Amino acid sequence: MTFAKTCGANMHKSIPPEVKQSLLNTIQHLDHVLPGQAPIHDFVHHNTLHGFQHLPFEEAVAEFEALTGISAYLPLQRYRDWYAEGRINSADLDWALRQGLPDLDRSVPLMGEQFTRLDIDKAILLSDCRPLTLAALNWRKQHMSQHEITVWDRFCSKFSMGVKDFGFETEFSDHETLNQLTAIQDFFDQVGKTKSLRGLLLSLTGEDVLEEIRPSLIKACAAVLDEGVAAWHLPDWQTLGWYTSWKKYYRSEIFLVFEDQDDFEEFWQELPEQPLDAIIYTLSSFAIPPSNWNAYLQRLALEIPGWSGLVNWRQHHPEYRQADGATPSLVDYLAIRLILDRYYLGAFCRRHHLPSARFDRLLTYFRLHQSEFLLRQSLYQGELPEAWVNEVRQLLKNPARFRPQQMLLALKIQQWQQQNERVLQPHSAIWPVFVLCQQLNLSGHQLENLDSTSCFYLLDRVQNFSVQQQAWLWLNAYEYHYQQQLLKALHANHQRGRWADRHQQRPEAQIIFCMDDREESIRRHLEEHNPWLETLGAAGFFGMAMHYQGIDADQTVPLCPVVVNPAHIIREYAHRNSDDEKYQRSRAFKKKLAAWVFHDLRTNPIFSFVLMPVMAPFTLFSLMLRSVLPGVWADFQAGFDRYFFSDIATYLQIDAESPQQIASPDSPRQGFNDQEQADRVMAFLKNTGLSYGFAKWVVLMGHGSSSLNNPHLAAYDCGACSGRHGGPNARVFAAIANTPKVRKILAERGIVIPDDTWFVGAEHNTGNEAISFYDLDKLSGEQKAEFAEIQIQLQHGQKHSAHERCRRLASAPRQPSLPKALRHFYSRSHDFSQARPELGHATNAAAFIGRRSQTQGAFFDRRLFLISYDPTQDANGTLLEGILLAVGPVGAGINLEYYFSTVNNEAFGCGSKVPHNLTGFFAVMEGASSDLRTGLPKQMIEIHEAMRLQLVVEAKTEVLEAIYARQPALQELVGGGWVHLSSKDPETGVIYVFNRKHGFEVWQASEQAIEIKENSYDCYRNSDQALAPVLIRQPIVPGVQL
Amino acid sequence: MIDTLLLLIPVIPASVALLLGILQIVGNGQKECWERWVSGIVISAQTLTCFMLVYVFFAVWTGNVASGSRDYGVWITCGDWKIRWQLTLSVFNLGVASVFALLILVAMRFSVNYLHREPGYLRVFSLLALFAAAMMLLLLGANAFLTFAGWELVGLTSYALIAFSYHRITAANNSTRVFLTNRIGDAGFLLLIVSSSIWLGTTEWQAIATAVNRLNNNQMTLISLGLVLAAFVKSAQIPFSPWLTQALEGPTPTSAIFYGGVMVHAGIFIVIQAQDLLQQVPFVMHLMLVVGCLSLFYSIWVGLSVADIKTSHAIATIGQLGIMFICCGLSFWTLATWHMLAHAIVRSFLMLSAPGIMLDSKVQAVTSFKNRFASSRVLYRLSLQRFWLEELNDHLLVRPFMRLTDDMAYFDQNILSRIISSPIPLIEKVSAIAEKEEDKIGAKLNNPEDTFASGSGLAAQLTVLAAELIHQFEQHFILYGLGRDSIQLGRRMGQIANRFEQLLLKPRYIILFVLICLILVLGGGA
Repeated sequence: MTFAKTCGANMHKSIPPEVKQSLLNTIQHLDHVLPGQAPIHDFVHHNTLHGFQHLPFEEAVAEFEALTGISAYLPLQRYRDWYAEGRINSADLDWALRQGLPDLDRSVPLMGEQFTRLDIDKAILLSDCRPLTLAALNWRKQHMSQHEITVWDRFCSKFSMGVKDFGFETEFSDHETLNQLTAIQDFFDQVGKTKSLRGLLLSLTGEDVLEEIRPSLIKACAAVLDEGVAAWHLPDWQTLGWYTSWKKYYRSEIFLVFEDQDDFEEFWQELPEQPLDAIIYTLSSFAIPPSNWNAYLQRLALEIPGWSGLVNWRQHHPEYRQADGATPSLVDYLAIRLILDRYYLGAFCRRHHLPSARFDRLLTYFRLHQSEFLLRQSLYQGELPEAWVNEVRQLLKNPARFRPQQMLLALKIQQWQQQNERVLQPHSAIWPVFVLCQQLNLSGHQLENLDSTSCFYLLDRVQNFSVQQQAWLWLNAYEYHYQQQLLKALHANHQRGRWADRHQQRPEAQIIFCMDDREESIRRHLEEHNPWLETLGAAGFFGMAMHYQGIDADQTVPLCPVVVNPAHIIREYAHRNSDDEKYQRSRAFKKKLAAWVFHDLRTNPIFSFVLMPVMAPFTLFSLMLRSVLPGVWADFQAGFDRYFFSDIATYLQIDAESPQQIASPDSPRQGFNDQEQADRVMAFLKNTGLSYGFAKWVVLMGHGSSSLNNPHLAAYDCGACSGRHGGPNARVFAAIANTPKVRKILAERGIVIPDDTWFVGAEHNTGNEAISFYDLDKLSGEQKAEFAEIQIQLQHGQKHSAHERCRRLASAPRQPSLPKALRHFYSRSHDFSQARPELGHATNAAAFIGRRSQTQGAFFDRRLFLISYDPTQDANGTLLEGILLAVGPVGAGINLEYYFSTVNNEAFGCGSKVPHNLTGFFAVMEGASSDLRTGLPKQMIEIHEAMRLQLVVEAKTEVLEAIYARQPALQELVGGGWVHLSSKDPETGVIYVFNRKHGFEVWQASEQAIEIKENSYDCYRNSDQALAPVLIRQPIVPGVQL
Repeated sequence: MIDTLLLLIPVIPASVALLLGILQIVGNGQKECWERWVSGIVISAQTLTCFMLVYVFFAVWTGNVASGSRDYGVWITCGDWKIRWQLTLSVFNLGVASVFALLILVAMRFSVNYLHREPGYLRVFSLLALFAAAMMLLLLGANAFLTFAGWELVGLTSYALIAFSYHRITAANNSTRVFLTNRIGDAGFLLLIVSSSIWLGTTEWQAIATAVNRLNNNQMTLISLGLVLAAFVKSAQIPFSPWLTQALEGPTPTSAIFYGGVMVHAGIFIVIQAQDLLQQVPFVMHLMLVVGCLSLFYSIWVGLSVADIKTSHAIATIGQLGIMFICCGLSFWTLATWHMLAHAIVRSFLMLSAPGIMLDSKVQAVTSFKNRFASSRVLYRLSLQRFWLEELNDHLLVRPFMRLTDDMAYFDQNILSRIISSPIPLIEKVSAIAEKEEDKIGAKLNNPEDTFASGSGLAAQLTVLAAELIHQFEQHFILYGLGRDSIQLGRRMGQIANRFEQLLLKPRYIILFVLICLILVLGGGA
């Protein structure tokens, strides 16, 4: 019988179509469980568990943990530390317990009923009552006093006395024969459900064959996915498809000679042409039961989530890199993975003296050799006492030789295991109760008198209170603590902020920032410095969704939130053609130079041989300078740039050339027509509430961040602009809003912009605090002089913001002077060795939608997204509905990505940047052959406080309730507990908190008064930790509406 | 003055490494507040070293100080055979050392921010200091022994840094693979040392280079073969190249300085240093030419399909080193030297800035490889699989090596320890189950069987020891041997002998045997 017949090689031909369809559905469904990160240059924050968002938060987390074994909560000890530091207090914990668990006031039959269940559960949360290992218990006992040991021993004996009554058998019969058949069956049943064959073999041999498969698979993937590091890609894959092309190229491995895999060649001969058939064929050749195929594929994909996720992303974004003409798909990927599995697993089994890598043969083999199974399983699952380890290892080196010895030892181990199961172990079962009793403050005397009913009650409670549930309660308590602080500040700040109403007075200037939490500090400092300034916040694309092509770019990029598909194209041009030519020439030269240095020095050795000696002296100089004085190096470079490449004046082509043409995402049109311009400005002004009381100067402040040597660059940029800089949007908005015809249309619609009002576009660099302005050349001489005043005030803001930021960075100077602080961030963002150019959104915790006057006057420590919205102009909530739908997911996405990357940086984040290795321009690996690491690096989340977003809206609860009832997206987000919603009544200032079960409930402020500080500096000095909101003393400004 | 400075150049970083090593052992865990101190000490020491190097270099270059070697006393004495502390004072050595020391300084500065808050900060800095010292020893050592000491220390630090994140299986495995591959180079180096000691009575580089008249052709060939073998391995030439791509698991700055900037040039450095000798051996010159060409070819071909930036630079490095070997093979020694320095500098820069390649290259993709070869699947496959060199290396080198150590462990456990009374069961007894058993019995001793006698005072201790020895002897040889097991023992001995014979016929031993014979024959032919 040939190999092909035995493994059902022709099976795929007779597979019913519905099986194929169900496999395809499974593969389609993988989109929900794989990381959804785009290629790294398009990094945009999103909910890491996006595929589970339809479930409530805690259920989603539980389901994900059940699927992957990855916990999405911080370790309990962290919360206990916070409890000790006062970051969570007893009242928070009580609240969380009462919210989360039923029946807490029931008294417990324990020491004369002095305890309630609340006390017990709280004690469990507060004490580290995890089971110990025997060795750990012995170690602890060595550090106990004689008295404590006596107490402990008596406590143990109390349990053994009570054991019979509670169903624990102490006696056990000696089994003379080995009985592992059920265990083996159970173990093999996991294949597909929780394990792949590789996982099965890993638990039986202690060696991971994935270490061999992965490098091969990575090569196969990178051969088609690469976007710019490699010059040579898999030939013909665009026309033939990935799998087919790979199959043609791969054939069988040349080093078969070494592994002598006779049957792989036969397997290969029969390999079908279509990837799906190949999957079925390979699964049959592994003899995986067909009922488990779907789960098996999911398991495979999840074993290398990063690469699977990227392939999945490409599959779901066929428009990406369309020039290639083909899209890699998960079916191809899984087929390749399975075939590689087939190859490496075969060799692996041979090496480990196992029969071939087939499910059925392995099962039969271990049924025949139960003792070997027991030895392997107990050795490699870490359950074996050390004394036996060496012996077992020896016996497994050549299993066939030592069958009788294996049998004897297996019997011994089995007996030991049975004994373990039947006896209440002091270290694993009794110790936790003992610790719990200590937490309950039971004295030694009381402990000795504890009756066994109580003992077993406690035991039951300890064992049934899962770690997951505990962490969930802790998280709630932690969030509740911050929520109280936040609401208290908002409550106390009621009617303290300026510019709630501008009817009587107009501010000197209005500065509209992005809603970004990083802008909170500069806004606060500006307002503190000059009470006549008003700042506003809005999503940083300022309503101008567009494809944009700067003069320094080769193609357009979308500048708007990822969910929006822009229908317009805006391009930047030089004023003079000669300028443009010159600029493009120098740009081409720079690009050529960059390509020489950064590409040709890798791929062209002969060229390198010539270029390197030429470059070397300059390089040595630059290396020395930039590693010692990065700021000076940056100055030097900037000077060099100025000298050789002069800046040129540019303009944006905003007006549509053919205004009649219909603009749609599929066929975007160049420029906006008048109507569209007015619509956009109108909508934006109404959303932010800036529909009257315009100041003389309205500055639109987009933002971005600059840093060197940072693959995660896009993660620091503006999330509302698809991870890019928002300056161009501000520039477009300002240009449009300054146009008389647009103002005319606006006036017709009821928004009157005074003639002396001028809009200025600008961009704030959140990394080094630099602010650049656009189109200042359009200002008249007089205007220029006036605007210089505004610029000076902004400089004040920059310096103070830099100063405030220093305190959170361990490597920044302590208590620096203002210019030094600013200079520090300048150097920092130009330092190529800096792994933390800035801290990103690491401080985000809450979002406030409403008038700035509600938050202005309090110190929020850069923790708030601030979105301007005026409820007084929006009685029925239509504007609010739009804002919530746009801002809710963006804020929640940022917040949840930070949450998950923080609680489990290894699994959800991408670990430390230090060993990162940029791959194919699309992601980072650790070293040269790891999985792709998605999520945020450790350097971005170190100081983040992992909590869900507190969304506070200034609106009537009725309005919010109506919106909630209409919008499923908000029901999912708020009702599912992915964000916490509260509201503040615009008139009365009463605060309501949304309860997921009961809807809005009135919030009661605590008695304790909130502190009032002199200024921001007073709030943050002497501290490098996250701070609670406090109030800042406000100057009394005559005429300004409070 | 100059002599003292010269001596201080390797000594300062070495003492800093020692200091940090002690700190790491006595310091209870790493604290963040140490960072500033740790990096401060290391960087000041390295800066000082750089200044001294440059000063000494200029002194020698301008001719104020005579070049030659300086003697600082005896290191090891063995009969009438001595290894001395000797450092070289020459423009070439000092020039190379100056540039490399500067590059190490840059990498150290880079690490200050890059590794901030990393667990293992102290470890990296102590290893960097050790590396700096070892590199100076390697570059300035005037005899092959000192150079070898530096060579080994450099290898050791590299091993430790590849396994920087030792919790990752790949990192741990790769560090072992790299370590094992590099042992081939050691064999070459040792061959050089042993043969030159025997035939020349000295290992001074000066003597080796000018020994042309005192040696015959075979002897010269053998010495130079050892030398270039060591160089090929360290500089990752064909067929040893794969180790370089496996070594990229460490932090970016150390990857840059070890596998792009400084360390990989050690091979080419010793070749240039021994140019006078090599020039007399055409065979070795041709060998360098061929290996250099192969490596260059390999680098060009493989480099086309590499998709991650670190590996891409590592592969390019192999090619540039190949070019240097070609230059050497063609006797363009000066060109090789200049290119070595230029490459070290530029590659350090490129690898340090590798994470920023997207921005630095102005988001341009590399030019596509498009010509009539590009559509060939066979050629692409060779490129992507890197000529299967990695797998070959694993099968021919790493795995046999591992099995050899397995054999050794088996020999230790089952033969050696049985003969000299086994300490293993004792170790095993200190384990959970043993503790539990003993807990039950209530015994305070680890194992009652082992300490059946007890006493205090020196005399008593000695008596106890003697009694134990006799007991062990009795138990193992008389009771087991002559008593119940005597027949079985005989049979087992037979089995063991059989196994031994089988083992000896395994390729790894045969290769070992052939190698020894080869060396003896070549040497004997002298």
